[in-house]
Amino acid sequence: MTGPQLFVDAWDPSYGASFEATPGGPVAPSSTQVDTDVELPAVDWRAIGPRAGVAAPHVVLLVDGVRRIDASVWTAEEDGASYPGIAASYAAGVVRCDLERGAAELAGARVGRGLFTASPSAQEVTCGQVRYPVHRVGGSGELSKLPAAVQAPLTALEVAVSDAARTDGDLLVVDGPLRARRQLPRTLGYIKTQHSQYLDARLTAVVTGLGSGQRSPVFRLGTAWGGWSWYLRLPVAVGAPWAGIVRLECSPDLEPQDAIALADLSLVTLPRFASSPYKDPRAPQNLVPIAGLERRLRGMLGDARLLHRALTMASRSGGIR
Amino acid sequence: MTDDRTDGRIDSPGEPVGRVLGTADATPLQFWTAVSPGSYLQLDDVVVTRRDLPDREPVTIAGVVTQVRARHEGAQFESDVFAIADGTLPAQVQEAAEITTTRVDPELYVPPAPGATVHRAEGDARARALHFDRMERRIPMGMGRDGVPVYLNADFLDGSRGAHVSISGISGVATKTSFATFLLYSVFRSGVLGGDAVNAKALIFNVKGEDLLFLDHPNARLDDTTRAAYAKLGLAAGAFPDVRVYAPPRVGDASGTPDVSSRLTGVDAFYWTLSEFCADRLLPYVFADADDERQQYTMVVHSVTAHLARYAQPADGGVSVDGVRLGSYADLVDHVVEQLNDDETRGDWAGSAVGLGTVNAFARRLIGSKKDLGRLIRGDLATRRPHSINTAESAQVTVVDLHNLPDRAQRFVVGVTLRGEFERKEKAGTAKPLLFVVLDELNKYAPREGSSPIKEVLLDIAERGRSLGVILVGAQQTASEVERRIVTNSAIRVVGRLDPAEASRPEYGFLPPAQRQRALLAKPGTMFVNQPDIPVPLCLEFPFPAWATRVSEAGRAPSETLRSITGSIDPFAVVGSGGVDDDIPF
Repeated sequence: MTGPQLFVDAWDPSYGASFEATPGGPVAPSSTQVDTDVELPAVDWRAIGPRAGVAAPHVVLLVDGVRRIDASVWTAEEDGASYPGIAASYAAGVVRCDLERGAAELAGARVGRGLFTASPSAQEVTCGQVRYPVHRVGGSGELSKLPAAVQAPLTALEVAVSDAARTDGDLLVVDGPLRARRQLPRTLGYIKTQHSQYLDARLTAVVTGLGSGQRSPVFRLGTAWGGWSWYLRLPVAVGAPWAGIVRLECSPDLEPQDAIALADLSLVTLPRFASSPYKDPRAPQNLVPIAGLERRLRGMLGDARLLHRALTMASRSGGIR
Repeated sequence: MTDDRTDGRIDSPGEPVGRVLGTADATPLQFWTAVSPGSYLQLDDVVVTRRDLPDREPVTIAGVVTQVRARHEGAQFESDVFAIADGTLPAQVQEAAEITTTRVDPELYVPPAPGATVHRAEGDARARALHFDRMERRIPMGMGRDGVPVYLNADFLDGSRGAHVSISGISGVATKTSFATFLLYSVFRSGVLGGDAVNAKALIFNVKGEDLLFLDHPNARLDDTTRAAYAKLGLAAGAFPDVRVYAPPRVGDASGTPDVSSRLTGVDAFYWTLSEFCADRLLPYVFADADDERQQYTMVVHSVTAHLARYAQPADGGVSVDGVRLGSYADLVDHVVEQLNDDETRGDWAGSAVGLGTVNAFARRLIGSKKDLGRLIRGDLATRRPHSINTAESAQVTVVDLHNLPDRAQRFVVGVTLRGEFERKEKAGTAKPLLFVVLDELNKYAPREGSSPIKEVLLDIAERGRSLGVILVGAQQTASEVERRIVTNSAIRVVGRLDPAEASRPEYGFLPPAQRQRALLAKPGTMFVNQPDIPVPLCLEFPFPAWATRVSEAGRAPSETLRSITGSIDPFAVVGSGGVDDDIPF
C-alpha cells in the first residue's frame, strides 16, 4: 500500500527522448550477412516492375501503434534513493481497407497505459478513470532507456488487435520490422526509414536507381530477426536517391517463391497507399491509412495536458500509491 | 450521468438518436447532438434529453432540430475525401444536429450534460416539447415535418391572451391567402371556439383574381390523400358552408349588377348611396393621405366632409345639397368643386383661412377620384336594395371582391368597411362573437410611412381589436413595409417563402438563421409559424384547400348560392326604411 512518493516532472514530457525516427537514407553500413542471390543472381540485379497477372488483394489490413509519454516522474524511495519513471500511453489499431468496397474503417483499436520505472516499490497510479499499471524495468532504469521499454507492450497490443481483424485472403502490413510477429500469415513488415545499409555499393546503386513503383529483387538478411526482404520505391517526384524507398520484409519461415510472390503483391498494393508530400511531412513512406490510423489512435490516447494535470493532481493527493 | 432508464418525466421518450456533444458548448438554450450511427435527425425533429441534478428532480430539456451537419472525422484536407471514398484513409462520417431548446421542465436552466442520451420525442413527449400540453384550446395548423399535427394556441388568436396574425411571403409561392383561409377553416370547424364558432364571422377581402370567390364550392380535385390529411388534423374536408360574396357594381351598368366573371350565382353587389357617403362622413377615405400633417389640403377635406354631413339631404337615392339635387358621385364632385371655386361660397365649404392653392390641390384630387369611385358611390340605385357590407347580418364568411377595382377604390372600400365593422363592434361592447378580417397586401393599406384614415382604422384594430373581438389576419409580401405597430401587435407571425433581401430584415428576427435560410426555399404550402408560447417557429405544411380556389376546381355550387339577389330582400320590409327611421310609409 505505502509505496514510494512520486513526483511528476513539471517539464513537458516531449522535451525528453524523441520517439520519432529521423528520416533520410541509411547512415551506417551494416555488417549483417546478406544473401542476395535469392531471386536473381547478384550480378543480374535490376529493378523489377509489377508482374502481370498479380492483383492487389481485396482487403488490406494495416497495423500501427502510437505511444506518448504523459509525464516524467521521480520516485522517492524509503531508503532515500530515487528512480526516474515515465507514465506512458500507447495505442495500437488496425485499419481494414476494403478496396473492393471503397471503405477504410478502424477494425480494432486498443489503448494501454503504464508507469515504466525501475523502482522496486512503485505502485500503480490511478487518476480518475485512468489507470497506469506498473511495468517494472530491469537494470538501472535511466530515463533515456525508459521510452524503449514501451515498445514491448505496444508490440504485444499490435499483435492482439491484428489477430482479431484477420480474414482469409487479406494482406497484413505491419508498421516496422516484423520481429516477434513473423508467425502471422500473409504479413509484411514495412520499414519507412533506412538506418542500415545492408547491400554493397553496386547493389545499392540498383536500389537508388529504382523507378516509382519498382522493387529490388528479394534478398535474405542473416540477422537474428532477419528474413526475406526487398526495397520498393513508392510513387514520388524525382528527388534524393533514397526518396520514397521503403524496405519490406516477410517471415523467414516462408519458401523463397512465397516470399517473391509476396514481394510482387506488395508492388501492386502499396503504391496506392502512398501519401502526398503536402499532406504528410513523412510522405510518401507514411502510408495514408497509417497516417489516418495514427491520428485516430492519438485521439484515443486522450488529451496529454489533461492527463498530465491528472497525474500531477493524483501525485499530490496521494492517488499515486 | 446518463442512462436510458425511463421514469418520472420521460415516459417512453422515444428511440435514442444520439448523445449531447462535448466538443461544442452545450448551453441551456442551444446545444449540439452527435447522431448515433444508424439513426438520423432532420430539421424540425423534436428531441428530448434529461439532466440529473443532485438533490433535485431531473430536468427534462426538449428542443427542435434547427441545423444538421455531417462531416468526415479523421480527414484533414478537402482532398482526403477521395482517399476515404477510395478506401485508403480511415474516416468516420459523423452527423451532428443543433438543438434549440423549446422547453425546460422544471425551469432550471442548466445545460444538458455532454454524453447524455438524446431521444426522439414522440407522443406526449413531443406534445410537451412543443407546449401543446399547455394549450387548453388547440387549433390544428397543419403537419410538422414529421407528419404529426402541429397546433396553434387559440388563446393567442381569439384575443384571450393575444390576437392578430401577420403572414409574410413572396406573392404566388408563399400561399399566404391559402394559409389564411385554411386557418379560418380550422378555427371554424375544429370546434375550438365551442359555441362561439357559430356566431364567429370572417370578412375576407379578395384582392387578386377571383381566388376567394369559391370558398363555398367543394374542390373537385380533392382526393383521398387530402381527406386523410384533414382527418389527421381532426377536420372534415369540405367547403366553407356559409359564404356570402360581394362584388362592386359593373362600370357603366345602371342596374348595379356585380362585376364578376367566373362566379355567376350568389354574388351581391355592394355600393354606398350618396346620402350614406355624406352622412357617414366617408369623404376622407377617398384620399389616401388625408391625415398626413404635411398636407395642407387635409383641412379642406375635413371641412367639406363636415359641410356635406350637415347640409346634404337624402333625395330619392341621391342627395340634395344647397337645393341642388345630385344624382351621382360625379355630380357631387362637380358641385363641390364649383362651390369651392366660387368666391362667395368657398368660405362656407372650406373655411376662411384656406389659400386658393390648397383648395385647388383638394379639387384636383377630388376630380381625380371621380373615375375610380363613380361606380361605388351611387345615387341612381334604389336605397331599399341591400348594398352594404355588414358581417353581423351576413353569412359566416363574407368575401368582398376588390380585384377589379383601382387602387384608390380598393382603399376606400377597405377603409370604409373596416371602419363600419369596427364601430359596430365598439357599440356592441363585447368581444364575442369574433370577427376575423383577412386582408392581403397590408403594406398598401397600412404602409410604414405616412398616415391616412385607412391606416388609422387598421391601427385601431391592431391595438384595440383584441379586446373588441376583431382579429386581423394580415398578409403582405414584405413585413418591413407595413406599419411597425401592426406587425408588433400580431401575436402570431407566419412566414412562407421569402425574398432573400427581405429575409435579412429585423422584422424576421424571430426566425433562427437556419430557418431564415430555409424560408428562401420554402415550397408552396410550407409555412413557419411563430407563436408566443413556443420559442422556436414551427415549420409546417398545411393541406391542399378542400374548397375551390379557382373556377376550374369548383365543384357543384351549393344550393343557397342559387338564390337570386332579390331572395335576400325581405319582401315585408317597409319601403324606404333603410336609414331614415322617422319616414312615414305612404
